[in-house]
Order: sequence, then structure tokens, then C-alpha cells
Amino acid sequence: MAAEPKLSHTAALILRTIHAGDGYGFSVMEMTGLPSGTVYPAMRRLERDGLIRSQWERQSIADREQRPPRKYYKLTRTGEATLEASERRYPLLAKLTAVEIEQP
Amino acid sequence: MRIQLAILRIAACLVPGDQRSEWLAEWRAELQYLRRCGAPQATAFCLGSFRDALWLRRNSPPDAGPWLRLETPAHCLGFLGLAAAMCVLLASRFHAPQMPLLPIGQMLLFMPILAVGCLPALVATSSLRLGEYPANRYGWRWAFLVCKIALVLPIVPCSALVLAWIVGPWFGQCMFVECIIALRWALIDQRQRCPECLRLLDHPARIGQLSHTFLDSCGTEFACPKGHGLLYVPETSTISFRTTQRWMHLDPSWSGLFS
Repeated sequence: MAAEPKLSHTAALILRTIHAGDGYGFSVMEMTGLPSGTVYPAMRRLERDGLIRSQWERQSIADREQRPPRKYYKLTRTGEATLEASERRYPLLAKLTAVEIEQP
Repeated sequence: MRIQLAILRIAACLVPGDQRSEWLAEWRAELQYLRRCGAPQATAFCLGSFRDALWLRRNSPPDAGPWLRLETPAHCLGFLGLAAAMCVLLASRFHAPQMPLLPIGQMLLFMPILAVGCLPALVATSSLRLGEYPANRYGWRWAFLVCKIALVLPIVPCSALVLAWIVGPWFGQCMFVECIIALRWALIDQRQRCPECLRLLDHPARIGQLSHTFLDSCGTEFACPKGHGLLYVPETSTISFRTTQRWMHLDPSWSGLFS
């Protein structure tokens, strides 16, 4: 069995935020406080490593809200396993994001 | 909004062609959403797109158009020969008046001196290592590299003579930069070729993960279109499994997969 990849604190934070339901780039930025130049390349790297997968929002949803469709990200099974390993590695991660989620 | 869209469009030029439209659509949608939320930092948000675009550029296989893909050695040398002949012709007819043409003898002496003069800058800006290949096996690789450099070198001063109309007193610096770019291209092109048939390698496949670099491999593997072998190119030159690109010869029993 292959070992889970070891993520940096930033990448683990982004993975945790996506898992918490904020699957859009700008939402991840808002939740983590990281700049766009950090968040988007990190998400591309996570997607390349198979930890998250992206999907375009349905056109009908975007039309209803009169805006272009957004691309959202979700964790894969490998991503979920890696997140568990990262939470063991960074115990403060779960607390940190939990506090941020409670205080929008 | 116009400024932000212009920033995104400029950054999109850095993204590889096959991913550009999707990349731009994602950033535009996010920008639209950000404006609807009334977030004030739209320009700072868009400036971050440059880092994203650069990341994609660095981590995607090259997407040169077919017109510029000099796949076989004959194509490559033919194209360089044609370019060199055109540059010499243009320089002889349209060179700037303050820059007289040197006699051929002096020009031939000047070109190797220019190349040697550029070596320190080339070493500082690019790796000179061509990778690990079985010793004493692929001698013609060196002959091909020498031919490429020999054809590239006349292009440098001749094109600089024509460019002297525009760059004027910066003629020398322009020629120096051109020479570095030309030699750098010759080395990069050399690294991307099969050592047996000298064709450009293809079919890039990513291997490993960057978080597993210690005693493991992480990089991209390219295959010769004729099935002569595989080239492993490491992503980082740290303490990983391999630190330089390495060629693995495939015996003829593999040829069925590539036919």
C-alpha cells in the first residue's frame, strides 16, 4: 500500500477547507486568508496529485443566479485519507478551521 | 473591471494553449463572483493569476505548434540552415549603416569567440548537463549538437546587424543576449531528443509525487516515438532517487508497442 503524501501546512489547510464545503477558489481564499497567488497553484498541485478533483457548476444553476458557471473542487478518497493523516500531523489544523467556520 | 480583465488576459498568455480557455473561464467566473460580493481587493486577486499561470506553464508538457516542432534531426538542421541563410542574406542587404559587415574570415573567427564569451552567463542561467547516457554509445549526439551550434551561431550576429536599426547603441548587448538564448535553446533541444534516432521525445507521463522525493522518483518520463527508449526527467535536483535526466534503452522486443 502506498503511503499518503506529506503535505505542507498550507496545502493541508486548503485541503481541510475544501473538505469543509468551501469548494471554490475564492471561498478557500476567504476561509484561509491566503492570497490568490498561493491558493490557486496549491489547488492545481493537489488536483495533479489526485487529492482533489474539479468539476464545473451546472449551467442552469449559474443562469438562475445570472453569473458565469464556477469551477468547484471536491476531495477524492485519496484526498480524504491524506487529510486524516495531515490532521494527525498538524493537530491544530482541525481546531483552526473549526474556529474559522464558526466565525464567518 | 476592465483593468482586472486585462490583467487576466495578459496572465492567460502564460498558460499553455490547450488549458487557456478553461483557465480564463475559471478566473473570470471567480472575479465576477468577487465583484458581486463587493470585495474590494479585485486587482490584488487578479494579480495572483500570474503565479497560477506560471505554475501551469512550468508543470505542463511543452505545447509547441506542429509548424515549429522540429521532430527529426533533418527537419531541425534544415530549418536552422534555412534560417542562417536568410539571416546572412538579410544582414548583407539591410544591415544598419553604422554597423559594417565583417569579412567572412573575421566573422568565422568572431563567432566562436562570442560563444566562449557567453559561456559564463550561460552557466549562470542554465544547466549545461545533458543527462546520463550509456558511455561511448551515442557519439552522433555530439556531432548533432556541434552542427546545431554551428548553424545557430551565424544567425546571432547577422540578426543583430538587422536589429541594430531598432536597438542602435545596444547592438552589443542585444547580440550577447541573443547568443545566450540561442545556445540555451540548443542545449534544451538536445536534452529533449532520443540519443539513437535524435527525434524529439513524446508521450510525457508524470511519475511520483513531489512530497515523496527522498529515495523515490518524482518527475516526467518521455518516450521515443520509434520505441528506442525512455527518458526520465526529475522534477527537482534534490536528494531524490535521481538528480539528473537519465536514458533507459529499450531492446527491440518493445518495438511492437510503438508501431
